[in-house]
Amino acid sequence: MAELEPLVEVRNLKKFFPLSGGVFRKVLGYVRAVDDISFDIYKGETLGLVGESGCGKTTTGRTILNLIPATSGQVLFEGRDVTNVGRGEMRDIRRNMSIVFQDPMASLDPRITIKKAVGEPLLVNGIARGYRLRQMVLELLEKVGLNEDHLNRFPHEFSGGQRQRICIARALALRPKFVVMDEPTSSTDVSVQAQTLNLMKDLQDEFDLTYLFISHNLSVVKHMSDRVAVMYLGKIVEMTPKDIFQDAMHPYSAALVSAVPVPDPTLRGRAQVLAGEVPSPINPPSGCRFHPRCRFATERCKEEVPELRDMGDGHLVACHYAGELDLGYKEVLESEGVKMEA
Amino acid sequence: MAVEESQESVDTIEEIEMDPSLVLDVKGLVTRFYTYEGIVKALDGVTVQLKRGDTLALVGETGCGKSVTAKSIMRLVDSPGRIEDGQVLFMDEDGPKDLLKITEDEMRHIRGNRISIVFQDPATYPNPVFKIGDQIAEVIMLHQDLSLDVVKNKIEDLEEAIRSMPEGLDYDEAVDRLEHYKSLLDNPPEPTLNEKKQAAKRKAIAMLDLVRMPSAAQVANQYPHELSGGMRQRALIAMSLSCNPSILIADEATTALDVTVQAQVLKLLNDLKSELDASIIIITHDLGVVAETCTTVAVMYAGVVVEYADTEELFSNPVHPYTTGLLEAIPKLTERIDRLKQIEGTVPNLINPPTGCRFHPRCQFATEKCANERPVREEVKPGHWVECWHPQGSMKGRK
Repeated sequence: MAELEPLVEVRNLKKFFPLSGGVFRKVLGYVRAVDDISFDIYKGETLGLVGESGCGKTTTGRTILNLIPATSGQVLFEGRDVTNVGRGEMRDIRRNMSIVFQDPMASLDPRITIKKAVGEPLLVNGIARGYRLRQMVLELLEKVGLNEDHLNRFPHEFSGGQRQRICIARALALRPKFVVMDEPTSSTDVSVQAQTLNLMKDLQDEFDLTYLFISHNLSVVKHMSDRVAVMYLGKIVEMTPKDIFQDAMHPYSAALVSAVPVPDPTLRGRAQVLAGEVPSPINPPSGCRFHPRCRFATERCKEEVPELRDMGDGHLVACHYAGELDLGYKEVLESEGVKMEA
Repeated sequence: MAVEESQESVDTIEEIEMDPSLVLDVKGLVTRFYTYEGIVKALDGVTVQLKRGDTLALVGETGCGKSVTAKSIMRLVDSPGRIEDGQVLFMDEDGPKDLLKITEDEMRHIRGNRISIVFQDPATYPNPVFKIGDQIAEVIMLHQDLSLDVVKNKIEDLEEAIRSMPEGLDYDEAVDRLEHYKSLLDNPPEPTLNEKKQAAKRKAIAMLDLVRMPSAAQVANQYPHELSGGMRQRALIAMSLSCNPSILIADEATTALDVTVQAQVLKLLNDLKSELDASIIIITHDLGVVAETCTTVAVMYAGVVVEYADTEELFSNPVHPYTTGLLEAIPKLTERIDRLKQIEGTVPNLINPPTGCRFHPRCQFATEKCANERPVREEVKPGHWVECWHPQGSMKGRK
């Protein structure tokens, strides 16, 4: 991985949302949505970002695109700091980055036709107009499996899967280098999800795209990504180019992986049921944020914040005892006769 | 497994025959919605069985009729919907009943009491303006005769008082009263409304305890917005289990929850099933949840149960092309594949569903026959039913 060139470099990124209350809207505290995370996204790869709701996945994605300003830290896109540029320059950078949102119905204006929706980025940036614009839109729609008949239709005339494909076409209109996929398939059915995921892989090859793939669905993330980052309460706890299902080293990742229902009845009952729920990001636990729910937690975990450490081959883990713990799920799997691929 | 080949329909209510190992036997259920655009043929002959103590999964994609099946069983289909045909046989305490033939009054006795349902979105279902405990108590008061509980609670309180002997308690009087209440156990008197309310509240707290709610007594006095999603879902499960139903229907009960919380709730449902001797119907689109929790699976497509089998059998030996396609379309944690197999096309519009087999336009094995004739439900193996003219999978080349 070392020889790869980073496209996006995230350095100590923080995003706090103020909580205000009282008569004078005084700031009472902060929701620490993203709390000091750093990572690189290399050219041409897909970085998967997983975690439960409220862990800061979406905020991370949006802060990287500067859709919401960062509280502190840097995001370098091709060496330029996105968090600290003028509006004109930002507009220039933004052509190269794009986003696909979770709910395609909410991200398409119900009153404008698909032709206009997909053509808008091209028109606004002065790339094409008139007949040329129509041709470009049609080309984009054909790339995502729609045709000429669809050009003048409105969003409500499409199915959920088609709408998501329209959003993908729009995101690709300016030929960006980097696309944030924010839960692109979480509102679609299994058979449509397979179509969308395959399409995204094909487009990645065709347009040489780099993806940040955000999802709460571990199986989908694993399928799509070259590397997977696991987030918990605003922190990245583990990041690995390896198979997260087999090689999870952080107790949280291991529990998360084990809790995913696998469509194979022979693997039943391997879930390590975590007690309690995710604590509030307003007042996160001291030290390691996972310690109140971790069965291996010691005194040290309560006081000292674990740093991301490289455990070899770019496998980063933020746990004081990474590699020393018996996470106890591999044995279960092997005893069930699951093939562990190399 | 119930074998109900010949349609021995047209029976009067007294003559209902039902396999004693089943608690629910749905035969040929047809539900339609009469909308402005046309008639939506939501269910087109759904046939499923639920065995006592089993967990049945109704699995399928959006719009395949999973939830309508559940609502039809509960007779909760609203206008413009209408249940047009079929039987829903339910084994009640006093013998089998056809839920589609009994009166609304009788149905009201069954709904929430003998069969109860937990809906998908825990944010919308508990009434936001009432306390959790009161909402559970309401169900209990409506369906249960609490006179015995009232007496039992009094005995419990007195015994506790005698044990701890607080200041100012007349011991002899307390013992006398205890004797008095004990004599009432066989023939409890009609309690006052207040006594009933207290007993119901107490039971509600016990129910919250049963669903492993931390500090149940405190939660009973809280409003739904004060609880997290997982806790709300637990409270709803407590509510639906409070009358000891013989069937619990969980309609996408864990879909809105995170995986770790989902694992907690699924484990809870499984534990409670054996504790309370109930049978469960889980409605889901997640085949992972099915594999993890269910004993029997009914795969639905466009208002039809296309395949019905034991979980192990279905996952190791799927024969309907739709089931196979569905299983191959999900990315799996346990293996790495470059491309997912996809089922081409989309779910059909049920106003104008395809003729013959409803899956034929998307099926790679479809023939002329599939387009013209509806497949006959047939048993490919004992307990493994399929509706398909050309069952594939490992059954390939069977005919």
